[in-house]
Amino acid sequence: MDRKESKDAKAKGKGRGAKVAQNVKGVLYGMAAHGHVTAALRTRMHLEHLFMFITLGDMLGVPVIPPYYSLRILPYAVPNIKSWKQRVFRERDFTDNVF
Amino acid sequence: MADILSTPFLWVVIAIAVYAVAYLGYGKWIDRHVWQSNAKRTTPAHMYMDGVEYFPVSRYVLWGYQFKSVAALGPILGPFIGITYGWLPALIWIIGGNFFIGWLQDYGALMLSVRREGRSFGPITYEFTGASGRRNLLAFVLFYLVIISATFIALIAAFWQTYPGTFMATVGIMVAGVVCGQLLYRRKMNVFAVTALGLLLVAGSIYLGVLVPVSISGGLTPTGAVAPVAPNAVTYAKVNLGVWAPAAWAAIVLVFLAMAALLPTPTFIQPTNYLAFYPAYAAIIFILIGALITPATNVAVQMPSGPFLMDPQGLTGPIWPILFVAIACGAISGWHSLVSSSSTSKQLDIETDALPVGGGAMLSEGLLALASLIAYMVLAPSYFAGHTNVAAWVAGAVVLTQPFLGGLTVPVLTTFFGLVLVIYAITVQALVTRFYRMVASETWSEGRFRALGNKYVATASGLAVPWLFAISGSWWALWLYFGGSNQLLAGLAIMLITIHLAKVKAPTKYSLIPGVFMVVTTLAALAWQTWIFLHAVILYTQGTISGAGSVLFNVRAPINTAQYAIEALIVNGVFVAVGAVLFFVGLSMAIKLFRSYFRSRAEAKAPEVAAADGGELEK
Repeated sequence: MDRKESKDAKAKGKGRGAKVAQNVKGVLYGMAAHGHVTAALRTRMHLEHLFMFITLGDMLGVPVIPPYYSLRILPYAVPNIKSWKQRVFRERDFTDNVF
Repeated sequence: MADILSTPFLWVVIAIAVYAVAYLGYGKWIDRHVWQSNAKRTTPAHMYMDGVEYFPVSRYVLWGYQFKSVAALGPILGPFIGITYGWLPALIWIIGGNFFIGWLQDYGALMLSVRREGRSFGPITYEFTGASGRRNLLAFVLFYLVIISATFIALIAAFWQTYPGTFMATVGIMVAGVVCGQLLYRRKMNVFAVTALGLLLVAGSIYLGVLVPVSISGGLTPTGAVAPVAPNAVTYAKVNLGVWAPAAWAAIVLVFLAMAALLPTPTFIQPTNYLAFYPAYAAIIFILIGALITPATNVAVQMPSGPFLMDPQGLTGPIWPILFVAIACGAISGWHSLVSSSSTSKQLDIETDALPVGGGAMLSEGLLALASLIAYMVLAPSYFAGHTNVAAWVAGAVVLTQPFLGGLTVPVLTTFFGLVLVIYAITVQALVTRFYRMVASETWSEGRFRALGNKYVATASGLAVPWLFAISGSWWALWLYFGGSNQLLAGLAIMLITIHLAKVKAPTKYSLIPGVFMVVTTLAALAWQTWIFLHAVILYTQGTISGAGSVLFNVRAPINTAQYAIEALIVNGVFVAVGAVLFFVGLSMAIKLFRSYFRSRAEAKAPEVAAADGGELEK
């Protein structure tokens, strides 16, 4: 085996080791933290729904704050409107909340 | 070296080999030929990606998440009752049940949800069985949650009473969770630093538990034995509630659960669950290592292999259907199908990941049940007298692990494994209480009873009713109701999977046969358990209030004496009602699903006719 082949084999071995380490890390993260991360994301989602509702409520027929402020906030809210609509209109059920 | 055949070693190896065949052989075959999973088909995680609920996650992360979500107290305590019929039938059910039914349900539920755009079981049930089917499911889940809560509250109280060191250790871990939550979310401390500090606090909590055992029953366990504590331990708290101690412990459990249900998750439940994860999983690894090295440590099997067709103690009944509901998680569990279709399906990256995530996690949980069964196998039969020593697992775990964890003394190991039992129960029960609150608000969101859907009222009712059940009924009776409803949910989930397969013209017999078996078995178990209480009520009307099968026999202290005969009668009557509701709601649900299955099969067989207008095909 020449030096180049030996180097490649070493790199390959190292790559495999790194991959295994990465997978183990993934499993540990999944067990210990993934559920908490998604729960935090869902909490933020509900707060964002509320924020959008308060700031853009007049456009939905429920004026919460004066339109002047809604218009001032509009440029910041526009990028979120699509995903907000997608989430708000999604069918939800009690069985979605198990975890 | 001990004779290998007299140790649990061989059975661990056989179980691992069978599970490997289940995954690599049967599992891959089902995946390829029945579900025909396709890595190129777009999953809901990509189709509806929003970065919150729907987003693709690596299969390793998702496996860890799924395993952690499904592995709880079920696989640990189920074998305690299952071993009544001998360890061999219990072992065969844990291996065979998982091989043919368990993984198939978890994996099938995951694939079903993925193929139905990531929808959970509520909407799928609505689609297959209509509005009344979904209402049935809602009612069934409500009762199911009440029974789970009652069982777990009773068990946590029993653990605290049996092992006095575990109470302070539990308090310690809760305080550690709150501290770590504040450091993580308020102080924005590095997660690794917080974890390291948290683990130190967990270790400190266990030591604190050893030093300060707390007993409010004069140091007696529920069986009347003196609780195991360190010889140099500080004396017990000077409170002696005697037979009322379990009720008082159960009330203390409610305080923890109310906090978990009402406080924001990052403040209490989330960091506590995170810290609790480490000792809980370390314990499983220790027990499995202990079981694998038994030929070297000379730990032999002491329990009889059976099979006993009836419970030799005359408490729980015949092996069929009781064994199949006593050992739920580890062989098969309906709770898993809710988890698979609730969040996991929305994060599955590619379809071919469903087998390692859904099936792999369930087979791994089988190993947890196996480890627990082995912890019971190495104990003397006297540990199982009266089915009251619910914390026997701790003694078995200490027997298995002490030879290689010799540096740790028996009181430390006892407190550690006792704490693990409490952790498994309390972390899941906290989530169940929160879930109950949401289901209650869904059920009573409008109408005359909408007050019941209020956050505080729902939490109070979701804890008070189970508490009453927990302090009055025998824990094994509750466990069998829990197992019956849990396994029935599994049977119903498998029927939903079968209906989907019929609709898409895929082979259905691999899920239909297990589905029919589970539905029939669990309905029989619920009917049997209901009959036990009904028979006691009938005996009461005939003037028999004590002795085997009587109203006093079916309840626990303090109301199992003649002076509380009326109270015992009421408890038996309530349990008849609960069993009857579970049975009839489950039966109604099963009939709806079977009808839907036959309709789907007939539709799938009918010849397709092209629409005259070139639109959709008419069926």
